Amino acid sequence: MKDILTIAGRSFTSRLFIGTGKYASNRIMAESIRASGSEMVTVALRRVDIENENDDMLCSIDRQTCLLLPNTSGARDAAEAIRLARLARAASGIHWVKLEVTPDPYYLLPDGTETLKAAEQLIADGFVVLPYINADPILAKKLQDIGTATVMPLASPIGSNQGLKTRAAIEIIIEQAVVPVVVDAGLGSPSHAAEAMEMGADAVLVNTAIATAQDPVTMARAFKLAVEAGRMAFNAGQAARQKTASASSPLTGFLRNE
Amino acid sequence: MATLRINGTDREFPEEALPATLLDLLNTLQIDQATVVAEINGAIIERKYFAQTPIQEGQSLELVRFVGGG
Repeated sequence: MKDILTIAGRSFTSRLFIGTGKYASNRIMAESIRASGSEMVTVALRRVDIENENDDMLCSIDRQTCLLLPNTSGARDAAEAIRLARLARAASGIHWVKLEVTPDPYYLLPDGTETLKAAEQLIADGFVVLPYINADPILAKKLQDIGTATVMPLASPIGSNQGLKTRAAIEIIIEQAVVPVVVDAGLGSPSHAAEAMEMGADAVLVNTAIATAQDPVTMARAFKLAVEAGRMAFNAGQAARQKTASASSPLTGFLRNE
Repeated sequence: MATLRINGTDREFPEEALPATLLDLLNTLQIDQATVVAEINGAIIERKYFAQTPIQEGQSLELVRFVGGG
């Protein structure tokens, strides 16, 4: 049986979502996305630089295989996030949004109350909302109760590559979730991604760890394999942990008489 | 001179050279209209209306497009 992830009625065979920031070039970004096998990539909205007109990065993304997920990065409160989401919808025709509200520029931690407020309004406006949140099980529950398509708790601060610092709280979110749980932000290596998937996360979102690796294309493939391995291990059902040893080989008694 | 505020910066146009529509303005600024979304005085203008949206002195415009982001 195929292991399909469904978000708001759309099917994904890949459980690795890719952020498109920080790549050295559009070409490396495109090759990395291909190597990752991802079917959903995030993008941001910024003012056009009128003096230095740049190439359009969307040309480099294969939109037949990849759904664009515009984010609201840069928003410091609900009103700014709603404005960005509406602009993104007008620009792309896509009514999916990665909702992020990050008032603090140092740790870029999300503001839960503003996120909840913005999510309510955006859902009323017909958006499919994927909110980026602290690993807060109560907030996750409130968001899914009002109709968000996922919850996306952070592993550690954005771009920090620290891995699953919030493991215990994410375990609770996964246990209680009725929508897919996407672990977003802070996953620094393929083993971090595998760990999240082994715990039962439905997907992970990775940007910095791939985009700023020495060889992003190879790192994208490494993340792809790690996410697949972690998911496979979760589906296989992990063996129980115990404090004492349990011999893997038979302990035969022929070496000495006891 | 006629002034437009574009992405937070005032730009002066000779009265007779003020672009008539949003599409004309994008062409004047050499911005590829296929990838841009615009707000005029806080209201979003969808791309299909660029050619019929008049530009008037004193307007405040935001011109944005997608960039890489996580």
